[in-house]
Amino acid sequence: MKLPRYTRAHLWPLAFLAPTIVGLLVFRLLPIFWSFGLSFADWQIFDAPSFAGLDNYVGLFTSPTTLKVFRVSALFTLLYVPGAVGLALALAVILNSGLKGMAFFRGAFFLPYITSVVAVTLVWRWIFATRFGLLNNALDWIGIEANPAWLADPGFALPAVVIVSVWRDAGFYMLLLLAGLQTINDEYYEAAKVDGANAWQRFRKITVPLLSRSLFFVLIVALIKSTQTFEITYALTEGGPNGATTTLAFAIYHRAFIDFEMGQAAALSYVLCVVLGLLTLLNFHFRRRWVHE
Amino acid sequence: MNNRALWALYLVLAAYAVIALAPFFWMILTSFKEQRDLFRIPPDFTPTVLFSDTPLKNYAEVWTKRDFVIYFRNSVIVSFLAAIGQVMTCSLAGYAFAKMELPGKNLLFAVVLATAFVPAEVTIIPEFLLMRWLGWIDTWLPLIVPSFLVGAFGTFMLREYFGALPDEYGEAAVIDGANPFQVFRRIYLPLAQPALIAIFVIAFINNWDELLRPLIFLNSPELFTVPLGLLSFFSQYEAAWHQLMAGSVISVLPLILVYVLTQRYVLQGFMGGGVK
Repeated sequence: MKLPRYTRAHLWPLAFLAPTIVGLLVFRLLPIFWSFGLSFADWQIFDAPSFAGLDNYVGLFTSPTTLKVFRVSALFTLLYVPGAVGLALALAVILNSGLKGMAFFRGAFFLPYITSVVAVTLVWRWIFATRFGLLNNALDWIGIEANPAWLADPGFALPAVVIVSVWRDAGFYMLLLLAGLQTINDEYYEAAKVDGANAWQRFRKITVPLLSRSLFFVLIVALIKSTQTFEITYALTEGGPNGATTTLAFAIYHRAFIDFEMGQAAALSYVLCVVLGLLTLLNFHFRRRWVHE
Repeated sequence: MNNRALWALYLVLAAYAVIALAPFFWMILTSFKEQRDLFRIPPDFTPTVLFSDTPLKNYAEVWTKRDFVIYFRNSVIVSFLAAIGQVMTCSLAGYAFAKMELPGKNLLFAVVLATAFVPAEVTIIPEFLLMRWLGWIDTWLPLIVPSFLVGAFGTFMLREYFGALPDEYGEAAVIDGANPFQVFRRIYLPLAQPALIAIFVIAFINNWDELLRPLIFLNSPELFTVPLGLLSFFSQYEAAWHQLMAGSVISVLPLILVYVLTQRYVLQGFMGGGVK
């Protein structure tokens, strides 16, 4: 192997890339390795760190609290991904069928995604509030006096976080799918109509295969996003009640910056890293089988 | 398509538009209400304050008495500087990756992209320790400086953009004696304006919206950004929804404004890049 030779001519590109190289080393690579090292340390930020071996990792998989975090995260993903992507697909397909007013609807559906997440989540917090909440008021008004404590009941709190997350992100996924749909040639549909295919058959046999690339990409983006949910949880439920909405990303924040258990938090963050790595591998594996190129 | 199917589709779209927009409608409506009308059953849809002598009363209250003028100014400064940083560093890097010769540049580009998939939660702990060591806790530097140094999405987008422009433009300028920076600055950079606008706007929106980093790095209320200001207002005056919603409108408005003005570029950016 020959090492590349750097000459004076390479000073220009190096100068152009200097910020990126420094940033990559200091804010990306250094933290990634540092975090890995920390995950083997026993360290509450105020005392000196000590080597803990695999204790942090063993702790994660034996403590009921973190096992619950894994369960809640998996449940969140299972509800969020099909919900958000399914809704986005339905909206994109309808919008792509050549209706008038498409620009208005597209803008309206995308609006939740580009507006301040804390601001809109606080509105949802009012919607879901137990006393004087808009949802319970509306239920009262039409004669249902159940008044569930949406955000304080462990059974309802996670679905509430999922609803707000789906509401916020569906418009973004819709936009990505719309871009994919617009590349499909109309002639396929015309030909299928001539052959007597109904709307469902056209969707199943033309749209799905030709959209598979975009659809798969959106599924992966949604999967990754589902493991990183933080802002909505923080502003809606603060991880509660009793950990019912504490997903992985929120648990890392809480362990590190509320409990100051830096070592445990770093180990937890590496679990998240491994989960994301596995998702990426699955992506490559299934892409070849499902995606129609 | 027959008429009935068409109506059904419009009904679905309209129903979801109501769901998508209702929280915004309620936010704006509430920001023009008196506190005593907040919790009426059935709900009250009259913006009483709007028809009074002081239509912007709730806004004036949160703006001055509840410090939103400070949060707003802080968010503008932080988001603006971070977005400028992203445009600068990403345009330099994207150009170098697309148009300049450097052994190992493809490897470097792959590392930039690969590390972008490592979530903030993994790097945030060392980042906090690093900022503490630098003495930057409770300043805006942790929110701004990293944006001047690396940005995967913008670099990726501009590499594509510059790559699609012909090499001949630059070659002519080199013959006239321009150095590589002049070629970049005078010839290619102006041509990339749509992509630069998209990157600026997307970075501005992301930084305006950022919660995790301000939460960790800022302690003093006078440094708070708008999202932190909203949360701290909420924890202090939980029932003052009329004011909180005025604050929310204030926090949402710049984003909608920026987005509407630059929608053309931003939609392309979001659709082309895919990742936020």
